[in-house]
Amino acid sequence: MTEDQQLQLQAFSDGELKGRGAREVAAWVARDPEAAALLKELRNTREALKGFAPQSKVPVSRELYWPGIERRIRTVERERAPSRSPEFLSMLRRLLMPASALAALLLIVTIAGLQSGLFQSAHKADTETAMADSGTFTYQDYASGTTLVWVGYPAER
Amino acid sequence: MRLNFRGWCGFVAAFCLLIPFTLLAGAPKESRFEAFLVWATNGDDAARKPVTPEIRKKLKDLPLKWKNYFEINRTGLSLPPGGTQRAALSKKCSLELTDVDGKHLEIALIGKGEPVLKRTQSLSRGELLVLGGNAPDETGWLVVLKRIE
Repeated sequence: MTEDQQLQLQAFSDGELKGRGAREVAAWVARDPEAAALLKELRNTREALKGFAPQSKVPVSRELYWPGIERRIRTVERERAPSRSPEFLSMLRRLLMPASALAALLLIVTIAGLQSGLFQSAHKADTETAMADSGTFTYQDYASGTTLVWVGYPAER
Repeated sequence: MRLNFRGWCGFVAAFCLLIPFTLLAGAPKESRFEAFLVWATNGDDAARKPVTPEIRKKLKDLPLKWKNYFEINRTGLSLPPGGTQRAALSKKCSLELTDVDGKHLEIALIGKGEPVLKRTQSLSRGELLVLGGNAPDETGWLVVLKRIE
């Protein structure tokens, strides 16, 4: 027996076949013991399950019942949409906190830097004016941070 | 990390407290210096006090020909922001310091009442400025200026 034949037999068992189709299957069942056995099994199964099938009745007709459910689903979705706002605020708060801390730190560093003269841009070069003698020379030891200025002025100790 | 209202209030209060501390910490302070009059010689003089090891080491690193450096006089100077201070190192030698802009100093060496040298430079803590010249008998004189704070 093919799968199509099995499905045709199931449709006959469920009463879905009408007229000529139903007559042909009835004749086939009458002459084929395998088909008759399967039909009997299908009917037995249906009878056995009949007691377990839930018998729920909808309050309105089928044409009104499902569109009603669809409307309710859409209403729930619309109600959920504004719930994104608190998440956005929470995310904004999370970003705002380190940003404001960084801004505060920068402000403090800027104030301290301006107060202490750290940000004075122009580097004033060392200048020197020898007044008593022109034979002045300067030696800079960068390693020890020492500047030597030698003047030809004969000072007395 | 989430901050509730109390957390934000605490953060703002801590920030407001930090500002005056920052202003106080960054406020210009008085600079302190030490000036030494030093006699440089190859001879020995047991009666004289040698300069401190720190200054001696730095003088040894300079292209000077002398072996020994004796401290003749020492004086401290406190320089307020933008102020001027003069210190006498001997009867005839004195040093005048002026705070130019908080970072730079104007150093004027005065000998026998006359300005000998005027120099503008920055002098960080621990750095030395050595002004020197030849003295009789193959010796030398040095004025060593050191910033303490």
